[in-house]
Amino acid sequence: MKKIKAVFLICLLLFSGFSLVLAQVSRPEELKFPPLKFEPPNPADYRVVLSNGLRAYVREERELPIINIVAIIHTGGLYVPKEKAGLDSLLSDCLIKGGTKTRSGPEIEERIDFLGGSLNFSVGERTASLSLSVLSKDLDEGLDIFFDVLMNPEFREDSLKLAKGRIIEQMRTANDNPSQILAREFEKVLYGEHPLTYQATKATVEGISQSDLKAFHSQYFFPKNIIIAAAGDFSRGQLRTKINRYASKWSNKSLSFPNISRNFPQPEPGVYFIQKKINQGYVSVGHLGIEDTNPDYFAVQVMNFILGGGSFTSRITSKVRSDEGLAYNTGSRFTYRWGFPGTFSGYVQTKSETVGYAISLILKEFERIRKEPVSEAEMETAINYYLESFADFFQSPIGTMVNFANLELQGKPMNYYATYRDKIRAVTKEKVMEVANKYIQPDKMVIMIVGDWEPCNKGSEKFPGPLDRLGKVHRVKLLDPLTGQLVE
Amino acid sequence: MNFRKVAVLLLGCSLLLALGTAASAQLKLEVKEHVLDNGLKILMIPKPGVPRVVCHIYYKVGSINERPGITGIAHVHEHMMFKGTRIMGVTDFEADDAINKQIDELMEKIYREKYWKRDGDQQKIAEWQKQVDELIKAEKKYIIKDHLWETYMKNGGTGLNASTSDEVTGYYVTLPSNKVELQMLLESDRMMNAYFREFYSEKDVVMEERRLSENRPGFLFNEQVRATFYVGAPYHWQVIGWMDDLRRITKQDLIEFNNKYYVPNNAVAIYVGDFKPEEIIQLAEKYFGRVPKGKDVEPIRTSVPPQNSHKRMYGEGPGMPSLQMWFHIPEDGHPDVPALSLLSSILSGETGRLTKVLVKEKDVAIRAMAMARPQWYTGAFTFNVIPKLQKGIQPEDLEKDVWEEIDKIKKEAVTAEELQKAKNRAEASFIRSLESPMFLAMRVGRAELNRGWRSLLTDLEDLKKVTAEDIKNVATKYFVKDNCLVAVYSRGQGRR
Repeated sequence: MKKIKAVFLICLLLFSGFSLVLAQVSRPEELKFPPLKFEPPNPADYRVVLSNGLRAYVREERELPIINIVAIIHTGGLYVPKEKAGLDSLLSDCLIKGGTKTRSGPEIEERIDFLGGSLNFSVGERTASLSLSVLSKDLDEGLDIFFDVLMNPEFREDSLKLAKGRIIEQMRTANDNPSQILAREFEKVLYGEHPLTYQATKATVEGISQSDLKAFHSQYFFPKNIIIAAAGDFSRGQLRTKINRYASKWSNKSLSFPNISRNFPQPEPGVYFIQKKINQGYVSVGHLGIEDTNPDYFAVQVMNFILGGGSFTSRITSKVRSDEGLAYNTGSRFTYRWGFPGTFSGYVQTKSETVGYAISLILKEFERIRKEPVSEAEMETAINYYLESFADFFQSPIGTMVNFANLELQGKPMNYYATYRDKIRAVTKEKVMEVANKYIQPDKMVIMIVGDWEPCNKGSEKFPGPLDRLGKVHRVKLLDPLTGQLVE
Repeated sequence: MNFRKVAVLLLGCSLLLALGTAASAQLKLEVKEHVLDNGLKILMIPKPGVPRVVCHIYYKVGSINERPGITGIAHVHEHMMFKGTRIMGVTDFEADDAINKQIDELMEKIYREKYWKRDGDQQKIAEWQKQVDELIKAEKKYIIKDHLWETYMKNGGTGLNASTSDEVTGYYVTLPSNKVELQMLLESDRMMNAYFREFYSEKDVVMEERRLSENRPGFLFNEQVRATFYVGAPYHWQVIGWMDDLRRITKQDLIEFNNKYYVPNNAVAIYVGDFKPEEIIQLAEKYFGRVPKGKDVEPIRTSVPPQNSHKRMYGEGPGMPSLQMWFHIPEDGHPDVPALSLLSSILSGETGRLTKVLVKEKDVAIRAMAMARPQWYTGAFTFNVIPKLQKGIQPEDLEKDVWEEIDKIKKEAVTAEELQKAKNRAEASFIRSLESPMFLAMRVGRAELNRGWRSLLTDLEDLKKVTAEDIKNVATKYFVKDNCLVAVYSRGQGRR
């Protein structure tokens, strides 16, 4: 029986080999691919709960002698009050460099560097992460430093002084880079005065003290507010024991997050122009979007893929870049943020005289996807892209553990990946048109341009100015974060 | 979606990493090789697991293969490789070809009128341009837009991109493991059947790409720094090329460039992921095997003559002010390179000497780093320091501080601990770089085209042998004034 099975297997292997290489064809349509089955990993298989409720997603990966471990903390810039704007940047800079009760910052960095490891901390909007990577022989020492930094940071004065100097020096260039200006100002118009858009100034940064950082740390850094992701060359059981040594001595506090408003202004539609003497206009056209927990999320993804998110296969890229040669970078995007609507925008950067024309083409595509059903071929490309590239989510073992940890931290369904392909398959042409109408609102468009007013306003043969043909023009002034004053 | 250019800086980084060693951790880099009759080399690194395969193809061509007048053409060519072939991107090749020939004839007349004469006849140009516009409209019905890109995407292609660097041009896609044949078909097709549709509008796209760079603070100054530093070598210009050359490059230039460099004997295909090597070889024989071998490609003729002078340049514009100091060093593979690479590591990073002294102790800079960039035919060792303006420090003030650090190395050498740390970092970086299939494909593929992929391993061994004395010697040899360019960039309005 065994023998028969082996022969059968060999046949099968040969056969599948043949089917791969049977005939040379000249067109991709003629290719026949052998079937491929892939089931995504199940988060429950990796989840462990440690002392004091510290949760973790842990995966052994023994091929290389490397350990990756990430602590994801529910905290971020969103929870920083306006008068302390910039505290999140200082926290990013000083959690490691500011040392702990028993180690100075330079000692920590020196040791990690000597081991050829890396230890990084970054603070985002609502999550922060501390990431460690060391050779597996250095696991114990690495963990010791990792948890020391996480649990006992001191934010010593010298590190604060250096970080403040660096942040303030960077403020000088806040209004130099057109894409940075556009990203920041577009959100300011869409979200208004809100914790999502508070900007640090020299004054707010200088006002932040060591005790502010310590207080912020103690408010959010404890086991129940953290999920660990780990992958690498360790034994799961042993890692569990090792982490428990720290977690068991780490007490919890009661969770309290500030109340954040979910009301956003309704900005007046039209052109928002920011003067900058450059040879292109940098453009975003859009309004607030949706949350990724919205039941329409998958339909919106497919719709936007066809509209301007699917790179060269999408309509905006094909029209504005490929047909007209107007831009290197153009398309549309939905951005997402945890707990708040993200943004929807079409974008392009094009030479000043074609700014108006490029915008008009983007607006036309917004209209078209709302009015006409998309084609079967477009649907097929979009849906197949999501289905066929699905396994890519799991290419990196530590990336997969981090994804699972983030799902749980943000309270999203843990079967997100298990149901992903079915939800994509369920999107229809009719649904695409429905969500295009629901989430693209031509009467609300904020058209923001960073560029040189005169040539942009003058336009070109295909779209002569003035720009107020696109809507009322608002001239936006920028803030100099160093002085806190408006600049020309 | 973007065609990225791999910046010199980035390349420098990866070359530095390449010097790491894996021997002590008993790691081996195993690459399976197969060479086709037409000279195309196939490299394979099987990594069972997730059913995906990283499929890259690298051509030994980049901006160093250009000459004045056609700078930027390697990158334009990379864009044009997405514009269809005799098979892909077209419904009726003959009909489309007929229109294209007419467009090219008219465009040649326009270019001659515009660029060969001082006072071209504007009216004629406008007339011809009108005819071209009509023809372009007529051609539309035969064009299948971005056919290759769409085909990859609907088959689950990710990491879809291409990039041009000084030395190498790469084409990338990651596919489900049952669809590698698709890449073989499409890449062999564009290797032998490239057909450059929509050339003139794509040049507009590239010029927009250049404008994007120009609007990035510091770009224009850095372009001049590089041009001033490299004399007599094609590293003089950036990958994006000069704007005026982009305007004037012709279809014929492109075709000649393609015929010379896009041949199987000037390329390497690499696969990393979940596959069986025998199957890859069979497919490669079948698809790439049909591409005719090209003429041998002569390595570029170049050298950087000794500078014999101390160069200084000043500029101003938006962005961070900085002091840059550039020194000529030898090419990748030269016996001095391992010591120089370790030295850059000892100087750089948060625990490196420059940060320790200039940022922390003296508090005159907010960032300070050094980098060894051994390129294929010549190299540069660069210092880059950003002054702390809050304390009234100007970029030029920092020059003496950098020289002080250089002199310390020359006189006192580096400590045993510093040297060991640099070696450990390089070794761990090397191991870490084996984690990502995409990064691995990039490093191995590129290394293969220069000194063979095994150089990644032999370089490790060379690096382990470096002594403090070696480092002292290279510092003394290369960090001298008449081998140095000092570039001072201040905040200001610049010319615009």
